[in-house]
Amino acid sequence: MLTCDHYLMPTSLEEALMLWRGAPSGSRLVAGATDILPWAREGRAGDVHLPSLIDLSRVKELCGYTVEAGKVRLGANVVYQQFLEDETLRRHLPAMPFCAIWFADDQIRQQATLAGNIVNASPAGDGIPPVIAMNGEIEMARLDGDRIVRRTMRVAEFLRGPGKTALGPDEIVTAIICESMEGYGGSFQKVGQRRSLVISSVCAAAFVKTDPSGEIFEDVRLALGGVGPVPLRLTDIEDMLRGQRITRQLVADAAGLPADRVASRTRRDYRRAVVRGFIEAAIEDALVACGAPQPGPAQREAAHV
Amino acid sequence: MSDLELEMHINGRAVKRRAAPHLRLLDFLRDDLNMTGTKEGCGAGECGTCSVFVDGKLVKSCLMPVGKANGARIETIEGLAPKGGDLTEVQRAFHKTGASQCGYCIPGMVMAATSALRENPDAGIEEIKERLGGNICRCTGYTKIFEAVEIARDVIAGRLSAAALEPDPAGNSFIGNNVRRLDAPSKVSGRLRYAGDMVMPDMLHMQVLRSPHPHARIRVIDVSAAHALPGVACVITAADVPGEDGFGVFVHDQPIMARGIVRYVGEAVAAVAAEDVLTAKEALRLIKVEYDELPAVFDPEDAMKIGAPVLHDYAPTNITKHIPIRKGDVEQGFAEADLIVEDYYETQQVEHAYLEPEAGLAYVDHDDVVTVISPSQNITHHRHMLAKIIDKPINKVRFIMSPVGGGFGGKEDMIYQGMLALAAMKSGRPVRLVYTREESIISTAKRHPARITYKMGLKNDGRITAVEFKMISDGGAYGMSTEGVMRKAAILACGPYDIPNVKIDTIGVYTNNTPSGAFRTFGAMQAQFATESHLDICAEKLGLDPFEIRRRNMMQDGAITHTQQTLGKVSIGTVLDAAETASHWEAGAPGRGESRSDLGGEGTRAPCTLGARFAPAVAKVKKEVA
Ligand SMILES: Cc1cc2nc3c(=O)[nH]c(=O)nc-3n(C[C@H](O)[C@H](O)[C@H](O)COP(=O)(O)OP(=O)(O)OC[C@H]3O[C@@H](n4cnc5c(N)ncnc54)[C@H](O)[C@@H]3O)c2cc1C
Ligand code: FES
Ligand code: FES
Repeated sequence: MLTCDHYLMPTSLEEALMLWRGAPSGSRLVAGATDILPWAREGRAGDVHLPSLIDLSRVKELCGYTVEAGKVRLGANVVYQQFLEDETLRRHLPAMPFCAIWFADDQIRQQATLAGNIVNASPAGDGIPPVIAMNGEIEMARLDGDRIVRRTMRVAEFLRGPGKTALGPDEIVTAIICESMEGYGGSFQKVGQRRSLVISSVCAAAFVKTDPSGEIFEDVRLALGGVGPVPLRLTDIEDMLRGQRITRQLVADAAGLPADRVASRTRRDYRRAVVRGFIEAAIEDALVACGAPQPGPAQREAAHV
Repeated sequence: MSDLELEMHINGRAVKRRAAPHLRLLDFLRDDLNMTGTKEGCGAGECGTCSVFVDGKLVKSCLMPVGKANGARIETIEGLAPKGGDLTEVQRAFHKTGASQCGYCIPGMVMAATSALRENPDAGIEEIKERLGGNICRCTGYTKIFEAVEIARDVIAGRLSAAALEPDPAGNSFIGNNVRRLDAPSKVSGRLRYAGDMVMPDMLHMQVLRSPHPHARIRVIDVSAAHALPGVACVITAADVPGEDGFGVFVHDQPIMARGIVRYVGEAVAAVAAEDVLTAKEALRLIKVEYDELPAVFDPEDAMKIGAPVLHDYAPTNITKHIPIRKGDVEQGFAEADLIVEDYYETQQVEHAYLEPEAGLAYVDHDDVVTVISPSQNITHHRHMLAKIIDKPINKVRFIMSPVGGGFGGKEDMIYQGMLALAAMKSGRPVRLVYTREESIISTAKRHPARITYKMGLKNDGRITAVEFKMISDGGAYGMSTEGVMRKAAILACGPYDIPNVKIDTIGVYTNNTPSGAFRTFGAMQAQFATESHLDICAEKLGLDPFEIRRRNMMQDGAITHTQQTLGKVSIGTVLDAAETASHWEAGAPGRGESRSDLGGEGTRAPCTLGARFAPAVAKVKKEVA
């Protein structure tokens, strides 16, 4: 059970940063609360009493998103359901609707933020592979005197290991900035024990862009989650495919590469077996999203024998 | 602690209140406003019993700090239908299809269904399933629920007449006709109060201190600091039990709270009744217990070995119950066999996971009658046991069965009702205890795990000549229903088959694991899993069709079972025929692999996927491509 002395709801970034700087040690920031509340239960942190909880959901600067100069700037309060329902976001972040549909359920997605998912830094966080595939950056703000200073870094560098990030003690995440992937096909694969409310054993995100003929891989982005302490960007496979003619054989060969990079401590063989099919399916689904014909089950099976 | 000043609109009414800063929206609705239609099945976002609308969006109120709801428009199950008015189409459709068994998940399901149809009034069945994906039901099953949502969708859209929500005409018999559940309206509207929803004036809240050790002697329990904490009304331990302390379905080996020894992790050691849950929790932290750890045993086969730690003095071999059954001469039967097949089967411990965690409310009434309200599946037996434990005549003990939010056997044991009664007696006030999901999983009985060694002798034509069946079952730290489960497993061990020579042993064993107790099928499932798996293996070895090997051995009308029961009518033949037809079974021995043609046919479920709501977009892309 989570208890606190104060539950604070600042409405501006400045107010939030002041409260955060002045908060007694042990205080926490809250976005959707979907990680924090279950964390303070028996079997995990147990009963926890914190001095202050600073809820960011009403900080106006963190709400909404902008698309500018080929970049999508997602305010830290953007929740997963928006990736599913917002037309503009679907167009610019084409793997995110598929990631979102596999994320928790319709209800939790109304609260859970992408920023919270990244700061939580779980090896199984579903939002992280697509973000690193989009060369995502994270923007943080803190107070220097009464001036707000910001810094930005690659999400891939921000994540330091399970539950570990480069976030400073007085910083607040203000935005996640991704490249616009308009024109790419996107896909997301996830395996867990059921279809809703399930933590990924393995997940994979892909973005694929073809040339106008639809026959050449113009660009490919691939990342895996759940296979080690932090998600993995598969740049060697991306390089292997970029500029090449699209064939089933090429995709199958590429998919065979990453298995040995599965470093999880549990169920390693299972995860390795899954990864191969996942990379292949991720690329195929992304191709379909670009307009390629859907491979039938028989074609899919054939590539695996 | 600084309270929050809250203002919101709940079901159309303005509400202005102060609330503790840590409350979740769920707590605010249930505890502060007494709106208990919204339930707490898990408190961790996993079950959906707490779903409510906040500013038109469905959320899980157990994951929402109440501050987030400040200024919002809240709609709960109580607000869907106008007061005193008709139920909504969704609620009526749930009533129609019987989608309300225990009912505990149903308010949340109705909310999720309502949300799905508000978001997309034309949602297809796959999309409906996805949108209800955050809500779990353990007893109705999902078919009736999905059927209800489809009916409601069509009625709302005008594709189906409202008459579809009316009861089916009753025939001459209840059998073969849809009969409406009398209690459904109270469940689909959230009006039904389960034990955890009940309140009484001056009520105290109980919290339980549990053992961190699987086996330990309790040297001292010092409750003085807990007792001195302001807001604490009483602290109880085994020392407070006035009568003969012990309960269980067959052997009364379990004390209300650990008496001198703890035998499993999670066993109750002491309990506090206080003005509120937070104070009771704080008091638990002030109770000092000193333990001397004892060697523990976790494997039933180890527990039967000489020199193993003994759990209960009355059972020096740790055997709770051994049921031996002998029929004919198995050695003779094996000698006559053309083939002998031996194998080993294991089933695991299983949690019931009823959506309603254990809860109860006890008080002593004006006539000194100790009254316990709880979802007990066996109130009469509990009443008799409790009378002895609290040393009262039976007419001074009363059990009231509250609606059971799922039991599946798991609420047959009197695991917490005794503590509630003691605390109500000691404090003179009503006392309520509501388990968390974690507490329910840690401390309550599970399905017996089983290890079964099977030996079967058969003729080449598939007829069984002999069976030797031995099942060793981990009964955990206390007897509970173990004896009954061992009996049932022995009685049903060989399935509905006529076998001339039989040797059966089922053995329930004490270990320092969580106790095993009653669970749907009561031992039969474990035995059947072994028997039916074994028959398939034998069919493969003999090159026989699995239906055929069963038909050659099945009992007929008038058969006498190995426990000497004469069966008037035996329906296994009819069942096999029905299963064969329904599964589109292609006759042949198991192990045909890809050569068979009855795989993936009509009625086969496609692999699990998501994204039904993308279907129109995907179809559009396809069209553009074509
Ligand atoms: C039932 C259930 C199912 C789930 N399913 C999934 C799933 O399928 N996939 C998945 O990846 N996750 C899942 N989760 C986990 C969780 O929902 C996600 O990690 C979510 O994205 C967390 O976001 P939040 O806004 O709720 O974070 P919060 O719980 O509010 O915060 C998480 C952490 O981030 C910090 N934080 C939040 N915002 C900021 C900020 N702006 N600046 C600095 N620090 C910040 C908080 O202090 C906290 O440490 C599930 C959780 C539940 C309860
Ligand atoms: S999801 Fe909220 S109580 Fe289970
Ligand atoms: S009716 Fe759904 S859990 Fe009982």
